[in-house]
Amino acid sequence: MTADPAFLERLETRLGRLLATGVIASAAFLAIGLGFWFPNPQSAAALWLLNAGLLVLMAIPIMRVVVSFTEYVSTRQWFFAGVTIVVLVELSVTVLVALSRRH
Amino acid sequence: MASGAVAGCLGALLGLGGGVFLVPFLNAWLELDFKTAAAISQVTVIATSSAVSAATTGRNLINLRLGMLLEVASAAGGVATGVTIAHLSDVTLERGFALIAAIIAVLMLTRLERRNVISDPTVDPGPLGGRFHDEESGGEVVYKVRRLPVALGVSFVAGNVSAAFGIGGGILKVPVLTAWCGVPMRVAAATSSLMIGVTAVASVPIQYANGYVNPPLAAAAVLGVLIGSRGGLWFGARARAKWLKLMMAIVLLLVSIIYLRRSL
Repeated sequence: MTADPAFLERLETRLGRLLATGVIASAAFLAIGLGFWFPNPQSAAALWLLNAGLLVLMAIPIMRVVVSFTEYVSTRQWFFAGVTIVVLVELSVTVLVALSRRH
Repeated sequence: MASGAVAGCLGALLGLGGGVFLVPFLNAWLELDFKTAAAISQVTVIATSSAVSAATTGRNLINLRLGMLLEVASAAGGVATGVTIAHLSDVTLERGFALIAAIIAVLMLTRLERRNVISDPTVDPGPLGGRFHDEESGGEVVYKVRRLPVALGVSFVAGNVSAAFGIGGGILKVPVLTAWCGVPMRVAAATSSLMIGVTAVASVPIQYANGYVNPPLAAAAVLGVLIGSRGGLWFGARARAKWLKLMMAIVLLLVSIIYLRRSL
């Protein structure tokens, strides 16, 4: 179970790209949403954009765990695939609790 | 947005989420209630984590294996506190936090000269250790991870604290990983930065569903933090490890005093 530097480097680059894309998308939604919100705080479009930006932001770390999981499975690193799936299960508990409390 | 920028800058610099500065500001200055302040701060933690990590990749500073393993504990801590927070008294939590922060600050100050890197690049780092190019010594260095149960334990507590106070939890993890677990400061900070996003997501959706995340305020804070974290990264690449530790100790002491005063 020694670390394979080439694999870790590829995974790191892939995750870096995912994180950067997510941050840019989320920031764009939030910035445009705020732009609509300032002149008119009741604007439905503004609130939609702000909430979309926040949801994209929350999805970034979850997607990072999902991508890590698929990478570990495709390279048959079962220990770390198992570790990743435990993290995913924990995060889905939170999402399920959140959905059950949302009206 | 300005407070978000300052928090993001300091957060990126120290491998923290920056929430440790944002929560007192939102709570005490803007007079938001504590839960709203903590929830908004948690959202900015995700932003800092993602932005800082995206910029740090490619330098072997993020330990993906160790990070994922510790996330099992930190996410569990986050979920546990996220679900049960209503039963805990704020005063008890704040006093406990002030105490922990003060102890770690003292620990950091006593270990300023210590470095965890091994200069011989042929040493096997083991399954969780790693190697990276060290700017200070100018060559490739190796480190080994020691006392994994300690690292897992502090990650769980960091998850609890993160969900309760809206801070990243790096404030606890980074000093412990550096002082006890053999992880170099920069690796600990980079790995913690990556981890805190998942730690925060373990409780943010619940706070969002409960209505504690005010979208326009959260958006302003997130954009501020994103701008500030660029500055923190620029500065962090030019600062020395000893200086970073000293600054972290000062920050911890200040946080400790703030929380102690609040709980009295």
